[in-house]
Amino acid sequence: MNQSPIRIHPLSRRSFLQGTGLGAAALVGLDERIATAANNSGISTLPHFAPTAKRAICLYQLGGPSQLEMWDHKPHLKEFAGTDLPESVRGNQRLTRMTADQKSLPIAPSMFQFGQAGNSGTWVSSLLPNTAKVVDELCIIRSMHTEAINHDPGTTLVQTGSQQPGLPSMGSWLSYGLGCESQVLPAFVVMISNGSSHRKDVLPLTHRLWGNGFLEPRFQGVKFRSSSDPVLYLSDPANLDGATRRTMTDRIAQLNRLQHAQTGDPETLARIAQYELAFRMQSSVPELASMHDETESTFALYGEKSRQRGTYASNCLMARRMLERGVRFVQLYHRGWDQHDNLPADLARQCGDIDQADSALIFDLKQRGMLDDTLVIWVTEFGRTVYGQGKLNRDQYGRDHHPRCFCVWLAGGGIRGGMTYGQTDDYGYNIVENPVHFRDLHATILHCLGIDHRRMTFPFQGLDQRLTGVEAEAHVLHEILVS
Amino acid sequence: MRNAFQILCCILFFSAAVDQRIVAEDKIDFSRQIRPILSAACYQCHGPDEKQRQAALRLDQQESLLVNRDVRPAVVPGNHTQSELFHRISSNDPEMRMPPPDVVRQLTEEEIELLKSWINQGADWETLWSLQPVRIVEPLGVLQDDWPRSKIDQFVLARLEAQGLTPNTQASRETLIRRVTLDLTGLPPTLAEIDAFLSDTSADAYEKVVERLLASPHYGERMAVDWLDAARFADTHGYHVDSQREMWRWRNWVIDAFNRNMPFDQFTVEQLAGDLLPEPTESNRIASGFNRNHGINFEGGAFAEEFRVEYVVDRVHTTATIFMGLTLKCARCHDHKFDPLSQKDYYRFFAFFNSVPERGIDGATGNAVPLMRFPSREQRRELVALNAALTSRQQALETYRKKSSEKATAWANKRRAKLAGAVESDSEPNPLYQLLQLDAAERTDAQRQDLIRAFLSQDKTFQELKSAVNKAEREREKFENKISSTMVMRDSEEMRSTYLLNRGMYDQPGEQVTAGVPAIFPPLPKNALGNRLSLARWLVSDRHPLTARVTVNRFWQSIFGNGIVKTSENFGSQGSLPSHAALLDWLAARFIRSGWDVKDLMRLLVTSATYRQSSRITEESFQRDPENRLLARGPRVRLQAEMIRDASLAASGLLVRTVGGASVRPYQPAGLWEEVAFGIKTYGAQKYEQDHGDALYRRSMYTFWKRSCPPPSLVTFDAPDRETCSVRRERTNTPLQALVLLNDPTYVETARGLAERTMHEGGKSNNERVTYAFRIVTGRRPTAAESAILLDEFNQRCTAFKTDAEIAAKLLSVGESQADSNLPIEELAAWTMVARLLLNLDEAITKG
Repeated sequence: MNQSPIRIHPLSRRSFLQGTGLGAAALVGLDERIATAANNSGISTLPHFAPTAKRAICLYQLGGPSQLEMWDHKPHLKEFAGTDLPESVRGNQRLTRMTADQKSLPIAPSMFQFGQAGNSGTWVSSLLPNTAKVVDELCIIRSMHTEAINHDPGTTLVQTGSQQPGLPSMGSWLSYGLGCESQVLPAFVVMISNGSSHRKDVLPLTHRLWGNGFLEPRFQGVKFRSSSDPVLYLSDPANLDGATRRTMTDRIAQLNRLQHAQTGDPETLARIAQYELAFRMQSSVPELASMHDETESTFALYGEKSRQRGTYASNCLMARRMLERGVRFVQLYHRGWDQHDNLPADLARQCGDIDQADSALIFDLKQRGMLDDTLVIWVTEFGRTVYGQGKLNRDQYGRDHHPRCFCVWLAGGGIRGGMTYGQTDDYGYNIVENPVHFRDLHATILHCLGIDHRRMTFPFQGLDQRLTGVEAEAHVLHEILVS
Repeated sequence: MRNAFQILCCILFFSAAVDQRIVAEDKIDFSRQIRPILSAACYQCHGPDEKQRQAALRLDQQESLLVNRDVRPAVVPGNHTQSELFHRISSNDPEMRMPPPDVVRQLTEEEIELLKSWINQGADWETLWSLQPVRIVEPLGVLQDDWPRSKIDQFVLARLEAQGLTPNTQASRETLIRRVTLDLTGLPPTLAEIDAFLSDTSADAYEKVVERLLASPHYGERMAVDWLDAARFADTHGYHVDSQREMWRWRNWVIDAFNRNMPFDQFTVEQLAGDLLPEPTESNRIASGFNRNHGINFEGGAFAEEFRVEYVVDRVHTTATIFMGLTLKCARCHDHKFDPLSQKDYYRFFAFFNSVPERGIDGATGNAVPLMRFPSREQRRELVALNAALTSRQQALETYRKKSSEKATAWANKRRAKLAGAVESDSEPNPLYQLLQLDAAERTDAQRQDLIRAFLSQDKTFQELKSAVNKAEREREKFENKISSTMVMRDSEEMRSTYLLNRGMYDQPGEQVTAGVPAIFPPLPKNALGNRLSLARWLVSDRHPLTARVTVNRFWQSIFGNGIVKTSENFGSQGSLPSHAALLDWLAARFIRSGWDVKDLMRLLVTSATYRQSSRITEESFQRDPENRLLARGPRVRLQAEMIRDASLAASGLLVRTVGGASVRPYQPAGLWEEVAFGIKTYGAQKYEQDHGDALYRRSMYTFWKRSCPPPSLVTFDAPDRETCSVRRERTNTPLQALVLLNDPTYVETARGLAERTMHEGGKSNNERVTYAFRIVTGRRPTAAESAILLDEFNQRCTAFKTDAEIAAKLLSVGESQADSNLPIEELAAWTMVARLLLNLDEAITKG
C-alpha cells in the first residue's frame, strides 16, 4: 500500500482547532489514523467533575399524563368534588383555548385510589402497582412547572430548553459533550411506541425533538425502529451475504486509499473508517435488535408485550440492551397521553402500557449493577388541570393541560431514591414548595453526567449557547442527589 | 529561525483563538486581537445592553473607556498602571477581580498580557469592521506576478506570499470541469462535455465551459438550493400536526430569477416587498412569499396572538440573518449583549413585518392567508357558478330583510299583547322587553332596527335563507381550498400598532414604536414610507455596509467551501473575522458596481486562478492551514446532500431533468411519516404516498420536505431541517452516510442504471467498460491499480452470480425502473456491483 507521508491530525477539522492542536499530529501509520478517524470522544475538557451517571435513558410520556391520578395524592379533593375552583387558587393563570371559554371549572377528584408504598411510604396510585414496588429507587418531583401550555412548544422545551424550534436536543448535547462510548452503535438513539389509548388523535412527534439544532448533524438522535431495518438503510436490499459485503467494504477502502494517496485529504481516511463502522453496524445492530439471548424470566419481568417489537415494554428492554452496549443516551417516546376526555378508562390503558415496563427497567438495571451509574428520567411536557374539561361525572371526566405543576421522576445514577421533592397546594393547582423548572431539571441531569451546565457551551449567533439557556439562571437540585 | 508555534500563529492570525498569542512587542490590532476578548469576557455586563450594565461602564464604546471615573478612567492610553481596567483584570482580590470569579468566561494570562500591551501601545480603537463602509482597496503587489488571473488572485497571493506560501499548481482539466460543473449546476459533467473540453485547445476553452454552465437551466436550480435553506422553504407547516402547504411556485420563482440573472437588489426587493411594488405583477406577489415560509401553527389550545408574533419574529430573524448577517434575534427580550442593537431597534424592525392580515392559528386546510389562488379554467368556471349561487342567495336574504319592517311591527304587537297579559316575564331579554313596551311611533330609527333584528333572529323563513347563504359560502370555501395557491405577503390597509414587547412576550406590550432601521445604520431616506418596500430598498442601497458583504460572502462560501467570513450568519462582534478583509470589500464594491450581477460574480469566482488550483493537500499545507483559509490550494469538500443523489441519478441515466414544479415523493422507507404523524389522517402530509415513474428521478431539491420528518437520506448528509433560517451547512462524515449510499434503494437502482449504460455504451472489453463507468462517476480515467480492483470485483461477482442467479435477479429488481432484459443477468448484476463500488467512493461524493 502506498502510504502518504502526510502527518495529519485524524479527527475532524473542528476538533483539530478545539484543543488537541498540532501536538497530536505525531507521525502515525495510515491504519492507526483510519482506526481513530471515526471516533467521537466528545469534548476533551469533559467531564467537569466525577459523574455519578455514565449514561441515561429518558422515558418521555408524550401528551401530559395526569399527575392527579398517578403521583400527586390529593385526598381532600373529594370534599370539593364538583365545586368550582376558587378564583383565589386559580389566580391569573392563562388557560388553553380549549377550556378558556368553559363556563365553570368544577373540581374533579381522582377516581383512583392511592396507597403508601416502599420503605419510604411514598403515595402511589393504584394505576401503578408495579412501579410502587420500586418506588424506593425513585425521586418523584411533584413541583415541576413550565411556561408552555400546548404540546408542540411544551415538548420542544423539554427536549431542547426552548419552546421555539432551532436548538439542539438534550441527547445531541450529550453526544456532542460526552462523545460515543460504543465503536459500533451511535451515542444517541431514539425509539417510539404507540400507547393503548383509544384517542383518535395521537399527538405528533417531530424530528427537532432529537435534532441537532446548531450542533453538527452527526450528533442528532438515530431512530431505532421496530421494522426489519432497525436503523434506516441498514440491510442490503438484495440480501447480499456478509462475505460479499465484506469484500465490497474492503474494495471501497482500497480504492479510497489510492485516492487518498493522490489527494492527501484526511476526510478520505475518515470515510474509510466510517465504512468500516457501517459494516460493523450491519452485524452489531441486528445482534442488538434480536432478543433471542434474553431469558424467559426477563420477558416475564418486562411483561408479555415486551416480546412484541415496537411496544413500550419492548423498547424498555431494548434500551437496557443498548445501555449495556455503550449507548450514551436512549430517548423513548410513548404516545397516547392527552386525556381531555374519557380520562379514567384511557389513562388506565396508558398506565397499563408503562407500569410493568418502568418497574422492570429499574429492577433489571439494578440486578445487573447498572442502576448506580445509569440515570433514568421519566418526563412529560406538562400536567393536567384539577378541574374537569367537558362533562363531569365521578367516573367519566377529562382534564385540560396544566403547566403550573406536575410530576416527573428520576432514578439511579446519583439520584436519591425513595424521596419526593416539592409540594403542591391542597387543590393540586399551585406549587407551594421547591418549584422546579425544566432548566433546573436539565442542569441536574447534566450534573449527574459530570457536566457543569454553565460550562458545556457552543458558540452560535454570538452567544455561548447551552442546554439550560442563556437567559434565566438554572439550579442543580442538590437535595435530590446522593451526595 | 522561528519555531513551528510562531509560524502557526502567523498563519492563523485571523483566528481569534490563536492570534491572541502573538508575541507582545508586535503592534496590536484592536479588531482582531482586542475586541474579541472584550466582547467575549466583558460585554455581558459592560456592553450595549443598558439594563444589564454594571457600574455604568461600557467597554464597547471608546468614549466610555476613556472618561474619568471615581478612581481613574478605565483606560489611560499608554499607561496600564493608571488604567482601572488593567487593575481589575489583574487583581488578586476576589472583590476587585474582573471578570468576577463566579463567571465562567475568565481571562487567560495571554489575554491579560495582550490587554496590557494594547493599553501601553495607545489603546487604539476601531469601529467593528463590518459596520464600517465598504472600502475600495487595491491589492498589494505580488512577486509571482504571472499567477494572478484577476484581482481576487492578487489579494490571495499577496497574503500567501506574506506567509511564505506558494499556490498549488492548476488542477487537471478533468478535475476542473467536474468541479465547475458541480459548482454551477449541481450536476456532474457528461462524458461528451468532458471530452469536448479536453480536446478544445483554444486559450479560452475553460471560459467557454463557464459560459455554457451559466446559461444552463440547471444553474438556477443549483443556486436555489442554498436559498431554500436560508428561506426555510418546506412543504409542510412545521408545528404540531405539520400538515401540507403549497409553496412550489415561490421555489419556481427563485430558480427562474437565478436563471434570468435577476440583479440581486431586485431579487431582494421582490422577495421582501414584491406585493408593495407599484402595480405588482403576479410574479412580484409570488416572490413575496419568501416571508411566508416560516412555520405555521393550528394546535388546538394555542393562542392566535402568541403565534402571530412568532411568525413576525421569524421574519425578523430570517431577514436580518440573510441580508445583514446580524443576530438581531438576540435583541428580542433585551438589548443585544455584544452588538450595538437595542431592544427598541428590534421592535422597530419588527414593525415592518407586523401588518400582515394573517391569523395566528391557520393552515389546517393547506395554505394560510394571505394567499393567491391559481384556478384552472374549469375551476374558474365553477367558481363563477358558485359565486353566482352565493350572490343570488345573499340577494334573497337582503330582499327579505328589507321587506321585514311590517312583519316585525306585527310581530311586536302580538308579543306586546301577550306580555300585557303576563305579570312580569323573566323570559324576555331586558332590552327587547323595553322595546316592546314602546308604541310603534315612539321608537327611534335605531330601536326600529333593533326590533327588526330581534324579529329576524326568530323568524323561520329568514333563518332558512340565512343558512342557505352560509351553505353557499361553505361550498365556495370548500371549493376554493381545493384550488392551487401560494402564500404571499400583504399589508393591511391600516398598519397594526407595534409595541416593544417586554421580555419578548406577546402579551406584555410596552412602549409603542414605529417602523425603522437600527440606529447604528444610516436612516431610511426622508419621506420614505415605513414599510417593507422602504426597508428592502434601504438594504440594497449602495451605502449599506452589510448587504453586499454578507451576500458575496455567501456566494464565496458556496464555491470555496468556507466563507471569507466563516460565520456567514454572524458579522457581529462575536462572529469570526474575515480571512481576507480587503478582498471581501473589493468583491462587495464590485458586486454593487456591477448592478448586483450574480452571474458576473460567479463567473469571477470560478475563473480565478485561486479557484483553478489543484486541491491536493500536502503535509506542509495541511499543517499550516488545515481549513484552507489562506487558499494555497483549490477547494475540496464533500458534495451537498442534494448533489450526491443527483450525481448518482445522472450517472445512471435515470435523472429526469425537468426544471420546476410541485414537490415529488421518491422512495422512502415505509412508515417513517406514520410513526410521528398526528392520528387524524384527513390533514395533508400525514401518510407517505410514494410517487411512481418520472417523479422518482427528479432532482433532490424537488423532494417533498416534511419538517417533522425531513427526507432521511438528505438529512443524513447534513441538509438542515428547514425549521429556521440556515445559511451554512456542516459537512460531517458518518457511518449512517455509508449506509445510505450502500443500501438506499435509490443508489442500488442508480448502480444498475450505470451498469446498463456501461454495457451498452462502454465498449466491448471489460477494461474499456471499467474506464467508462469510472469516468462517468469521477470524471477521470482510473489508474491501473484502480482498474485492477474493479475488474477483480467484476470477475468475482460474475462467477458468483452464475452459480446463484436468484441473488443476481434480486439485485436487479431493486427500484421501479425495469432492467434491460436483453442483457445477461449475471453480467449486468456484476457490473451493478462494480457501479455500487464506484458510487460509494469518497471521490464520487467529493468535489475535488
